[in-house]
Amino acid sequence: MQTGKQVNRPVLAGKFQTATLPENEMDMSELTQSSAPRRFIGGQLLGSSQLVLGVILAVLCIAISIAAPQFYSEANIIAILRQCALVLIVASGMTMLIITAEVDLSVGASLAFVGCIGMAVLNSTHSLTLGLLAALAFSGAVGLFNGLVVTRLKVNSLIATIGTMMMLQGGVYLFTREAVQNHHRLASFTDLGAGYIGAIPLPVVIAALIFALAAATLRFTTLGRYLYAVGANERAVRLSGVRSQRLKLFAFVVTGLCVGIAGMILSSLMNAGQPTAGRGFELTVIAAVILGGTSLLGGRGSLLGTLLGVLVLKVIDNGIIILGWNQDLQMVVPGIVIILATYLDIVRNRANVG
Amino acid sequence: MNWSKSMLFVSAAALALSAAAAHAENMPKRIGYVTNYATHEWYQNVIKGMQARAKELGIELEVQDANLDIAKEVSAAEDFMAKGVDVLIVTPVNEEGVVPLLRQAKSNNVPVVLEGNPVKGMTTMVAICDYDTGYTAGVEAGKYAKEKLEGKAKVMNVGLPLLSATVLRSQGFMDGLKTIVPDAVMVHDLDGGGNPDRALEVSSAALAKNADINIIYGINDSSSLGGLQAWKAAGKSQDGLLTVGTGGEGLAFINAMQNEPSYRIEAAMFPEKEGYTAIDAAVKLFNGEEVPEHIVSPTAPMNGDDWKKFYDYDGTTRTIKWDAVNALQPPEKCMKTSADLKK
Amino acid sequence: MSLAASHSTKAGPSMLARLLARQELALLLCLILVIAFFSLTAENFFSVRNITNVLGQASLALTAGIGCAIVFMSGEVDISIGSLLATIALPLIIIMNETNSLLLGISGALLFGLIIGVVNGYLTAYAGINSLIVTLGTMFIMRGGVYLYTGQRAIPDDAALDSFIALSDGRLFNVIPYSAVIAIVLLAVFAYMMQHRPFGRQIYAVGGNPEVARLAGYDVRRVKFICFIISALLATVAGIILAARVGSAQHTAGLNFEFQVVAATVLGGVSLAGGVGSLTGMALGVLILQFLSNGLRGLGLPTEWQLVITGMIIIAAVAFDEAKRRRAIGG
Repeated sequence: MQTGKQVNRPVLAGKFQTATLPENEMDMSELTQSSAPRRFIGGQLLGSSQLVLGVILAVLCIAISIAAPQFYSEANIIAILRQCALVLIVASGMTMLIITAEVDLSVGASLAFVGCIGMAVLNSTHSLTLGLLAALAFSGAVGLFNGLVVTRLKVNSLIATIGTMMMLQGGVYLFTREAVQNHHRLASFTDLGAGYIGAIPLPVVIAALIFALAAATLRFTTLGRYLYAVGANERAVRLSGVRSQRLKLFAFVVTGLCVGIAGMILSSLMNAGQPTAGRGFELTVIAAVILGGTSLLGGRGSLLGTLLGVLVLKVIDNGIIILGWNQDLQMVVPGIVIILATYLDIVRNRANVG
Repeated sequence: MNWSKSMLFVSAAALALSAAAAHAENMPKRIGYVTNYATHEWYQNVIKGMQARAKELGIELEVQDANLDIAKEVSAAEDFMAKGVDVLIVTPVNEEGVVPLLRQAKSNNVPVVLEGNPVKGMTTMVAICDYDTGYTAGVEAGKYAKEKLEGKAKVMNVGLPLLSATVLRSQGFMDGLKTIVPDAVMVHDLDGGGNPDRALEVSSAALAKNADINIIYGINDSSSLGGLQAWKAAGKSQDGLLTVGTGGEGLAFINAMQNEPSYRIEAAMFPEKEGYTAIDAAVKLFNGEEVPEHIVSPTAPMNGDDWKKFYDYDGTTRTIKWDAVNALQPPEKCMKTSADLKK
Repeated sequence: MSLAASHSTKAGPSMLARLLARQELALLLCLILVIAFFSLTAENFFSVRNITNVLGQASLALTAGIGCAIVFMSGEVDISIGSLLATIALPLIIIMNETNSLLLGISGALLFGLIIGVVNGYLTAYAGINSLIVTLGTMFIMRGGVYLYTGQRAIPDDAALDSFIALSDGRLFNVIPYSAVIAIVLLAVFAYMMQHRPFGRQIYAVGGNPEVARLAGYDVRRVKFICFIISALLATVAGIILAARVGSAQHTAGLNFEFQVVAATVLGGVSLAGGVGSLTGMALGVLILQFLSNGLRGLGLPTEWQLVITGMIIIAAVAFDEAKRRRAIGG
């Protein structure tokens, strides 16, 4: 690893990579140097940022449970896990996407829309399968649209997905002005949010499966390696003959599909398709992903980190309620934790390099 | 006011069409309504009521949405005044934030009716009594508790401390409840954000901490339903539980009252009626008539199937029964207002 | 590599030449198109009263947009400006209520803004944390802090000073709102700085390629640090105007304002990648979106359609701009 490069990172770190800008040129050697070693760090049991997060999480859990023993009750752990599940499902896709150096801000708006569409289809067909398929088709199409706008029209993903977010926020009200009520009363639909497999809530099981699948893809497959490579140096990947645009498109669609699943679980939990749901959800998801050490520059990050990021944010959220603190702290504390965790990570990196 | 004279002709035509306008009043030609949050069911129905009344009176009604953004609200009102509307109706996004807007309207000689929330320097406001709405629902809940819940009342309040109106509802509910069940307690006092997913999340955490409650109170339907969904998601039976919602703003409560065994009381606020009353107040202001500072729009607690008295529901839309709602007698004055909170 | 250099040489030619040479022309055409369309379709759109109203409404995004664009040009982002609007209104209104002095109120607000800028700038430029993360963090911290401090209630402007009210209601020559005048003056000053002062060139160079900028002897960290302070101070000015327009310190002030400003800035051709764009472009971007939303309101379109159309136009405009740029690079 080149010492000089590492120290420079932080200064460069504010930049967004866009596909077309020539000043982001790097050569092929840069590709192997910048992406491969990081993957190995991710491949170890705990990367540096994960270690920091793990410690933060442990401290949080211990501190909260000393102050409020109910924190460790079975009911509370299940409540936390169920809340984590929704975020983790979408964050799994989002991690892949951010690793390719793109981002999707439309997930919150899409979450609400998907729930309404899924519920409407369920009402008219009384088939859980069709409802799920409709939700997935819609959310996948949103992902595809985002992906095409970013890869074909070369619109910066931050802006493109702000645009999509607005269109979805408006569109959902064109679709329905009221919450779509549950008229079908399918038990299997209720189970989607409130059901259990053994002692574990079904949404948690679904989240675990998606998480495992995404983690395995990123760590063990060629596809996963390419996703890192595209994020680290898209130009180099393109020059080496891989269709980088397809990879980004893939990540957008996967993120979309994850939203579809999360949206159906949320509508099951709320027993209605709520057009107002999901406000600020995108920020929670992205905050969890970057808290987990995934770089917005692309090319670096891991799902394990994302999992820890989700847990930290949701434990903070839950802890503030359990402790009976002012709920406005639910904004302040994550803000501090995000900056602090990133800073500690940088300090550790510097120490390692130095 | 020369222009209002010239509009005698227009209003004469309106009179001919309208049986409701029995008195020889001047009708404003155009009313602009800046709403707080047009996509929300509550305001959808307020607008419906306004449209119904405006159509009756032959008035052109235009609606602008601030979409919860106070800066946008001011802009929309500016637009309306530039366009030359005769009367403005405004639902303040925030009570303090529309003071400059009232000032500008005054300097432009445009009368303003406020809907929902009072503002310093206002002429008149059409609003329900939040405290009374909570109070009467609390009394009903107390009766229910005495009869079916062994006289116990342990409340989870899925509230919204952000707004004085919603704080008043929660206070009113507890005070009303205590008239029947004196030892009623509020076990959880939560900030559910007024939206269903937040209410669900917050209630889940609260129930995990302490599930020893038997009444869920929500400051709006999203909140009560969010609380109830959290209860169900925790795997609890609805036996021995009472859920009380507030607002009756959309279809959600009708659906809940038909399908959820615990959802037995709804404090209905009849948004349609509030819109209807606001148009009447606008006409009065336009004619320079004296109006009270607070024109109270009626509310009523609905037990079980009571809602059928006030609404027709065909599975996709609800239609207000004007005769039933117009027959409700609102109180002259509220028992408690936001001014009492500040003391 | 050569982008930064080419920018510093571009700073020479006259305003008109630059306008024609670059994308400002397309943006200007777009703006004219929007205005023409609504003049024909929306009642009362093309009136002095309405156009000057829109300028007053645009003054917030114009002022904050200058800072946003400058931070973008330096290769960073600042999404904390929306929360900043709510934060600085607190000292402004509280001090004015206590002292009845506009000057003291504004000084207090600017001091707060300065501190926020220093924090954002230090954490990004010197501590080396990604600016999106820093400003996402300070965005949450400030908004939460405002909620905590105010108990989620707005603080009314009890002082009601004439000078402060003039910021909202007053108009120069009884035509142009003072808020718009302030925005235009600031825009002119900063556009001059970006094009004709060494510091402007340094910002383009640092954003274009930090390595090259460093080799050229620029203090990259210092430049970025100062950009964040500029951004925070300009957002403070926007916050003061907003507080005047709503006559209070609003805890929800500026929610989603950062999205609005970022969208307008990028629409105006200021790249998120740094080193590219102009303040004229940003200003045109703001005006296009502002006239668009005013016109859509004028047509009586419901919120949902306004959102859908604005979203589509943002995507289409940026896509069009990208296509043009690629053609220019390719050819």
